[in-house]
Amino acid sequence: MNDWRNILIAVDDTPTSENALKYTADILGKLEATRICLLHIYPEPPPGYYSSGKSLDDYRKEKEEKAASFIHRAKDILQQAGIDTNSIFSMDSMADHATISQAILDIQTEGEYGTIIVGKRGVSKAEEFLFGSISSSLVHHSKDCTVWVVG
Amino acid sequence: MTAGIDSLPPTIRERLREHRVTRSMRRASRIFFDTTDFTSIDYGDIIFVDDCYFLVTGYTKEGRFGVDDQTKPWVPRVEDLATGNKQILKLVFHETFDITMGQFTISYYRNPEKEARVLELTQGLPRFMQGRAVLDEKGNLVRILDIINGRRLDKFIYKSGANHKEYFHQELPAILKQFLECVQAISLLHRNGFRHGDIRRDHIFVERKTDLFRWIDFDYDYYMPEKPFAVDLYELGNLLMYLVVRGNFHPREIMADPDMGEKILNTIEPGDYALLSKNRIVNLQKIFPYIPSELNNIFLHFSLGTDVFYDTADEIAQDLEAALQKLT
Repeated sequence: MNDWRNILIAVDDTPTSENALKYTADILGKLEATRICLLHIYPEPPPGYYSSGKSLDDYRKEKEEKAASFIHRAKDILQQAGIDTNSIFSMDSMADHATISQAILDIQTEGEYGTIIVGKRGVSKAEEFLFGSISSSLVHHSKDCTVWVVG
Repeated sequence: MTAGIDSLPPTIRERLREHRVTRSMRRASRIFFDTTDFTSIDYGDIIFVDDCYFLVTGYTKEGRFGVDDQTKPWVPRVEDLATGNKQILKLVFHETFDITMGQFTISYYRNPEKEARVLELTQGLPRFMQGRAVLDEKGNLVRILDIINGRRLDKFIYKSGANHKEYFHQELPAILKQFLECVQAISLLHRNGFRHGDIRRDHIFVERKTDLFRWIDFDYDYYMPEKPFAVDLYELGNLLMYLVVRGNFHPREIMADPDMGEKILNTIEPGDYALLSKNRIVNLQKIFPYIPSELNNIFLHFSLGTDVFYDTADEIAQDLEAALQKLT
């Protein structure tokens, strides 16, 4: 089991993600010696993206610019809860030939994170079957770490 | 670019002149080196790719969106004028459209490159249609496909005229044995990162001479980044159920059958219906009590009542293999 204080928080621009972050900040703000990585994973470009004349670099740039604003907001939330700025890192990356949950788990393994924190959307059974649930996949497939699913 | 028949090699020109297709034509054939505008290529024209002169002898048809037998002008039937081989060409046609599954809409698109890669991956494998992909003069990806001489699986299962009980006990085990290998074939695609993309009962062809089941048509694709294979798995389930009961059962079919009627319909509970197809019953054991639970349990993975989904085609294959033991 990896060190639980080494924490990976998966974030995006949804209210669910922000709620999860606020809940988490409230707890982590009371703890010491944590290392937090704010991670945003985005999917590969949709079909037709390239035929609009854009490149993969354009796509990455669009996604990174968008991620920069909500990652900045996420850092603010953590700092306001009393978490030391120096212990917060951030990362964004495309899920390259992988699902978003697989990409999160790859980074968890690589960075030896002991805790993953993710928001829960609350999807229907049919929606989960067809479109998937990142939180469910993380719970099912994670190893050497604890997954917090914040609903 | 097109050219007239004067530019053809003499032997090819002679074969074209004597061909039944051109004998009845009132205009001269044209030779197309560029297939971009496939709608301008007509019956009796020649498509030149991969150093072969392919004479267009007809077009394939397919039922789609509730309309039977729509001609597909981007999929001409052809004959190689040098060898006489009859084949099918698939030309690049970029099309996107939405398909509704339950309350959800999924955007589909044609992906010629994926089909080309699947053809390459499955070269020599009997469960897949065979062919090769080449580029025309303008770089369009033309797929040259071998014709499977046979019939659609959903027609094949009715060939004996047996009633359902006879079909179930005498014919189904052999059908499901082959279908199991078809599921394993889809698993091979998934393990290599490809979807079939359009699993349906007329996309398995049964070879006339051998009765071998073979998958066809790999160019559909869809964008579902977190569950890339879910639609394929759902459609495998649908196809399996269709094979077992030779049809789809909604309340109206049950009420229309004098042997079933309200007596059966009253036993159907909300969880017995399909996860993504409104009013279709998947707890088929309630309709056909001789379906063993091992087989019915596979169906229930696709029901509204399920708490467990299949994640892989291999999981379906494993359960089907176990269920087959109960049938044979």
